[in-house]
Amino acid sequence: MLKDYPKAIVTQDGTSVLLRPVTRSDEEALKKFFSLIPDAEKWFLIEKFTDSELLHEWIEQLNYDRVLPIVAVVEDSGEIIGNVRLYRSSSPSVKHVAHMRVTVLPAYRHLKVGGWMILDSVKQAMDLGIEKIIAEMVEGLEDPAVNAALKLGFRQEGLLPNYVKDRRGRLRNLIIMVKNLPREWSDF
Amino acid sequence: MERLLTSSIHDKDGFVQKKVVHETEKGNLIICSNCQPDFFHDLVMDAGLGKFSHYSSIIQKLESFQKIARREGGRITLALVEPNIIVGYNTCWYPAPDERWSALGTLMYELAAVEVSRHYRGLHIARRILELTLDDDFFEDKIAYINGYSWHWDLEGSGLSAAQYRQMMMRLYSPFGFREVYTNEPNIALRDENIMMIRVGSRVSPDDQRRFRYLRFGIKQQPQCNSATV
Repeated sequence: MLKDYPKAIVTQDGTSVLLRPVTRSDEEALKKFFSLIPDAEKWFLIEKFTDSELLHEWIEQLNYDRVLPIVAVVEDSGEIIGNVRLYRSSSPSVKHVAHMRVTVLPAYRHLKVGGWMILDSVKQAMDLGIEKIIAEMVEGLEDPAVNAALKLGFRQEGLLPNYVKDRRGRLRNLIIMVKNLPREWSDF
Repeated sequence: MERLLTSSIHDKDGFVQKKVVHETEKGNLIICSNCQPDFFHDLVMDAGLGKFSHYSSIIQKLESFQKIARREGGRITLALVEPNIIVGYNTCWYPAPDERWSALGTLMYELAAVEVSRHYRGLHIARRILELTLDDDFFEDKIAYINGYSWHWDLEGSGLSAAQYRQMMMRLYSPFGFREVYTNEPNIALRDENIMMIRVGSRVSPDDQRRFRYLRFGIKQQPQCNSATV
């Protein structure tokens, strides 16, 4: 499956972007990428990849069987503009479930790069035999990502009220979005 | 096992017709590429090709084969059980004028359908059909493509989910150099499991590959770019 990468997309403004798995050589470019995420959003990163040491540790231990990280790279400049990670568990009870986290630089959000990255992850999940993808998003902060996910067939299956705190200590709701990838045959 | 029977006839487009014997546990099959319009008169379709409750064959009448074979660039490869039963087929053609890909003229060439009778599946017939179809220098000047739409797939007959069927398609075409590409073409984009796969011929220029990449996303203007990745 990974042999089909890089996968090219072209955004509405004609920018050629390549989607491909993260490699160790991406460390510096990823450092720059995470530094460009707005502070208000950095706060909510579950993994603090804004911390160089943590990023280094993570990239040294890349294991595509556990986490499949894909980056979106502007072809001409080599700049990383998006990152999606598909997390899988080895536990048989939840082996059919993957968690997805996607981040796109603000300057590229209106170009639907996030949508293509989510679709890429959905296809990867499908090919890995995953039956359910879960994405958690902060209400009011990640609305573009919520909308992109809705367009790609995700449904809001839960909302944890006042679950996360922002930088100012204000409580925000966490939206649980789920996409089911049916395993049974059916006609359309 | 297979052995070559003939490799001789040239048709209107200069295609060479080849025939091979494919030995299976259900007996020998003849696989024949580039079948000409007059080839179909005495043939019959196997009952495992046709109309079923949840699935219909793309080609159900011999006349359809004849029409395709008459088209410029139309090609048909058949799998036959002697004396005259069609148990599998592959149809190929240039994209129709109303399809997005026709904007690149004869650069694009579609492997439109591969189907094997429900009674003859699991015998590697589809792979043999593709082998014979693609064994032609013609493809080195083309971007050959397939569009896999899940609403055409025999999920009931195969017992596979759409996701599994998609994987089966990838396994079928990958050995021939096909790989998945993304596009916003509306039919492909309609369902996650739908798939567009392409094989770029060895003589296709970087410029043509670039034109194809932009066309996949409906963009006519092509900024200068140094890459040849499709």
